[in-house]
Amino acid sequence: MNFIVNILSLGIPFSVALLIASLGEMFNQRAGVFNLGCEGIMAMGAFLGMLVPYSIGQGGPTPGIYNVLGLALAMGVGALFGMLFGFVVVTFRAPQGIAGIGLQMFGVGTAGTLFRHFVGGTQSVPGIGNLPIPFLSKIPILGPIFFSHNILVYLAFLFVPTAWYILFKTPWGLRVRAVGTNPRAADSIGIQVNKVRYQALAVGGALAGLAGAYLSLCQAKMFSDEIIAGRGFIAVALVYFGHWHPVKIMGGALLFSLAQALQLAIQGQGINFPYEFAVMLPYVMVIVVLAFSRESQLLGPTALGQPFNREKRI
Amino acid sequence: MKKFLTIVLCFALVSSAVFAAGAKEAAPAAKADSNVVKIALIIENTIDDKGWCQAMHDGIISAQAQLPGRIEYSYTEKMKPVDAGSAARQYVAQGYHIIIAHGAQYKNLILEMAEEYPQVTFAFGTSAEIGPKNVFTYMPESEETGYLSGLIAGMTTKKNIIGLVGPVDAGDAARYNRGFVLGVQAVNPAAKIMVAHSGSFSDFVKAGEIAQSQIRSGADVLTGSSQQALGALRAVADYRTQDIWWVGQDIAQIRITEGYKVIAASSYNYASVIVGLVEKLDKGVKGGEVIPLNFNNGGFVFEFNTALKDKYTGAIETKVNEAIASFKAKSGTVAYTAVDYSKL
Repeated sequence: MNFIVNILSLGIPFSVALLIASLGEMFNQRAGVFNLGCEGIMAMGAFLGMLVPYSIGQGGPTPGIYNVLGLALAMGVGALFGMLFGFVVVTFRAPQGIAGIGLQMFGVGTAGTLFRHFVGGTQSVPGIGNLPIPFLSKIPILGPIFFSHNILVYLAFLFVPTAWYILFKTPWGLRVRAVGTNPRAADSIGIQVNKVRYQALAVGGALAGLAGAYLSLCQAKMFSDEIIAGRGFIAVALVYFGHWHPVKIMGGALLFSLAQALQLAIQGQGINFPYEFAVMLPYVMVIVVLAFSRESQLLGPTALGQPFNREKRI
Repeated sequence: MKKFLTIVLCFALVSSAVFAAGAKEAAPAAKADSNVVKIALIIENTIDDKGWCQAMHDGIISAQAQLPGRIEYSYTEKMKPVDAGSAARQYVAQGYHIIIAHGAQYKNLILEMAEEYPQVTFAFGTSAEIGPKNVFTYMPESEETGYLSGLIAGMTTKKNIIGLVGPVDAGDAARYNRGFVLGVQAVNPAAKIMVAHSGSFSDFVKAGEIAQSQIRSGADVLTGSSQQALGALRAVADYRTQDIWWVGQDIAQIRITEGYKVIAASSYNYASVIVGLVEKLDKGVKGGEVIPLNFNNGGFVFEFNTALKDKYTGAIETKVNEAIASFKAKSGTVAYTAVDYSKL
């Protein structure tokens, strides 16, 4: 039983960075833009998230405030990066895939360069500690699994119903879905397609920045150039995996992270199983599920990846 | 106009990342005369990564101090194997005598370049293979340092559960891990050792996840090697008031913020390799040899964390000092190849 509790209680916090970044990417893709630069924005978020508590918050009386400032900075710059991406792919209608790869390299390179300039070498920060919920965290089995995590874990899972509500129950969510499904029709009824796409990219960028900051402030509690280690690309894949729906995306993020926790437990128990296969397990699982999700293309935003040109004749 | 601006923007995005990496001269250029050996270092991480790359950089700086005026040194950081070729060719063009590509991932590149530039000496490691006549390889026999860490872990653990966070099961990391297992078993055969690999030398987050997983499974002493181990040490440091400890594979770990959890650490002393390379070059030997690192040839250093004196004083210190003395007397005594993780 302890073995299973450990896997579940570790898998949940492991999933948070993927969940937040995937929800952001979902808004991008619902608006018709896929952002492969998510990894770069996460790198910037990871760096900026730890920069504030590292540079001005060390030993201060209220480290929590500096952590919040770090998170806010990561989200703000993430939103700016999202809009920069919008400038390239929405305004100038550059190919989204190529521009996304450019943004990924730009983000990772810039974060690494700024890190060397402002911090120097690898440094740790106190980060954000766990916040066990009184009484609930003491419940056997359920307590350690659900109620003994840091504040961002609880917030991330609250983002899921929030994202669902925004996407399916608000006028803005309707506009996002409209410009991602049929931008010409949306334009004909007065929706400013490019403006909505910029807004969605800003939201997606802010969430990607927050996801990066989660890694540097809550998980690693330090920054290195390779801290994201492909999680931005996994987040993009999880959006397809989750059929552009917040709840299914959460399921995908949890599945991936529980597989990750499981493979660590398998290795730790000394089970005679090649560790290379164990490390591959979560990634293989995503590929297999994606391969079997044949209806994915039917469910996706039909204008995904297509730049909108109002003047262009059909 | 829009197309032009699009191209410019895309180029700016890509080029900023590409040019983020770069070369630096680590010390003022030595006077150009025939006595000076110009050494270039190519690394995949940075010179201050508190791990693999920093150890080599520090070794070269130390060798410069040991051989005043003999070594001119430059380095290039953040070089993936596909990019490293252009950096190495620039160093060849600038007349460098020894080009060190610090990592087994550069093997193919170095072997190709060695054929192309037979007048230049190349070196890469870790590798126990004997290279061409102008290629040196170096191999840390890190089962010795692992063994010392294992002795400490085996005698420190109270729960008899020990965690080992490896990067990949290859090279010096594999030797360290197996030496660690033998060290634990030498003093505490009843201890359970949980071995897990992150699959990466630099994924701090994953190493931290492994450490968390092992601690929750009861491990109270952990170790790990390569840069990724810092993530595991950071996870251990979160248990500030609990009896959970770390034994390091880099002395720099004792002096960082998380050092309050590090009982002891060992490091590679690459200065001995560099001094050896210069001496061999002086004798006209340009390669074709494997240079080992061990306690016997001064390739390793070991240090207890004096701030945690109560954790090691007595039996642990005695046992470790005995082992170091035996390693200094004779190398190759730790039979690390016999270790089978599946039987732990």
